[in-house]
Amino acid sequence: MKPAVTPEIEANGEVTRRKVLSWLSGFGLFGSLIITAFSNFIFIKPRATYGQPNRFSIGKPEDFPSGARLSLDARRVCIVRDGDKMAAISTTCTHLGCIVSVSETGFACPCHGSRYDQDGNVTGGPAPRALPWYQVSLAPNGDIEVDKDTEIEPGSYLRV
Amino acid sequence: MSKPTDTSPWKAMIALPENVWHSIFRNPLPSSDLGRASTSFTNFFLHLHPVKVHRNSLRATFTFGLGLISFFLFFILVVTGILLMFYYVPSTSQAYDRMLDLRGTVAFGIFLRNMHRWSAHGMVAAVFLHMCRVFLTGSYKPPREFNWVLGVLLLLVTLFMSFTGYLLPWDQLAFWAITVGTSIASYAPLVGKQVKFLLLGDATVGQEALLRFYVLHVAVLPAVLSMLVAIHFWRIRKDGGLSRPAEEDEPTAGVELVTAPAVVMATSPAAAAAAKPVLQRRQYGIQGLVRGPFTKIGNTPDRSVFSWPNLFMAELVVFLITVAGVLLVSLYFNAPLEEPVNIMHPPNPAKAPWYFLGLQEQVSYSAFWGGVGIPTIEVVLLLLVPYLDRKIAGVGRWFARERLLANSLFLTFVVINVILIVIGTFFRGPNWEFVSPW
Repeated sequence: MKPAVTPEIEANGEVTRRKVLSWLSGFGLFGSLIITAFSNFIFIKPRATYGQPNRFSIGKPEDFPSGARLSLDARRVCIVRDGDKMAAISTTCTHLGCIVSVSETGFACPCHGSRYDQDGNVTGGPAPRALPWYQVSLAPNGDIEVDKDTEIEPGSYLRV
Repeated sequence: MSKPTDTSPWKAMIALPENVWHSIFRNPLPSSDLGRASTSFTNFFLHLHPVKVHRNSLRATFTFGLGLISFFLFFILVVTGILLMFYYVPSTSQAYDRMLDLRGTVAFGIFLRNMHRWSAHGMVAAVFLHMCRVFLTGSYKPPREFNWVLGVLLLLVTLFMSFTGYLLPWDQLAFWAITVGTSIASYAPLVGKQVKFLLLGDATVGQEALLRFYVLHVAVLPAVLSMLVAIHFWRIRKDGGLSRPAEEDEPTAGVELVTAPAVVMATSPAAAAAAKPVLQRRQYGIQGLVRGPFTKIGNTPDRSVFSWPNLFMAELVVFLITVAGVLLVSLYFNAPLEEPVNIMHPPNPAKAPWYFLGLQEQVSYSAFWGGVGIPTIEVVLLLLVPYLDRKIAGVGRWFARERLLANSLFLTFVVINVILIVIGTFFRGPNWEFVSPW
């Protein structure tokens, strides 16, 4: 009986059926591994979140007297009213996400000492960016609505 | 042992305890070298060890048992962690109350929590010191390069374990440390925002984040850590045990350059010249393959001793010292618990646990460079250490002269990080402003 010759040696560089099949099954196994890993990422990325909505009503314009700078800490926004102009400035520090408190000169962060002016521009500390302004609109029922998903140009106000 | 020919039921009953015992433990307490050897490899837990171990590996001042201490602390963490799981609920409305229950109503609750917390701190320290030992004795050199890489990964997983555990008490410190920590992650280029969202499962730290951190802390990361530890231990055996200095009467530790047989067979001289010489470390006889890594070449004296009892007694002593240390610290110091989470008022200053304060100090200068850039560079450099430093000299000795440059660079890295931690811990007050501790 002749000893079995391995097909690879026999083929001598040619593309054999065995080579194609090994390549295809390797591709299939490795591919399924990648698809599995990718599906897991899709699974753990939530489609709906259970936390607070990013779009919420904050009451009637009359609730905010002129000159008010009212920080809604649970919502992480500061509502500013100046005459008939209203705006919502984020109170989440752009450095590392602590809540900034309203100070006489603007905003101050207790965590790493970032300071901002009245309009949210950085005046000191490690904060890399100004505090963002969020879109404020008047809902049909007369409530003021803040949308934290939409950032607007700082200095743009809603007239009420 | 009863003779298999004796089959009377009464005799079988009398011999029952003995038979059961011998079916589990096949060897009596050994009195010969053969017995010592088979005791090592017939026991599931002992067979992870070699039958014989080099004297140098047993020197307390060579390793200080730091790797073992790390492992035993992990063991204590698993045991106490599983016990704490019986009472813990990963819910924002209940988690903090459960912490108070551990204090007030659960038997040994506060003690178990202390043990878990202090072992975690101890493990971070022990893993780091173990890394220092391996570096300063040059033990990452070939053939141990990959085990160093595994070790660096183990350090990272240990830190991540600690970080995820930090949120679970749901107190002020937990909430703000994780708020700051995950914000640091969001500074990573391209994937930062997604990583933060995946970690928190929401835009801010809340119920989803607590649940995710809990799952990571009690299931995912321990599994990853155990797997890495298993490979780490297995590699120690396969890499020839712990590093040790080359001995003068050893034929340069069996390293010689030979050309692979395929090259000799090559028909064209050009192909033979192009083929690289292959590094062959040892020549094994059949005995060597059977008996483990201490194959003797020539007539060199045997400097190894039997693992039973030498190695096992040493390990038992390290285990007992570790347990005693944790018990003692847990008796006298209670794990801190701050006020329940108040998302309106961050504590001022909001400080992470001590081993993250170096990072927090860096972050106070620049969030990207301090939190992402420099740590990434440090980790990449650590991972590449054995591939950048290829000189095989000064292996297996503390502070070897030949390694003056490498050791100085590494110690600089260690000292800078220690200084940052000291500044962050003692010299930072409200608004992260410089304060004097005196």
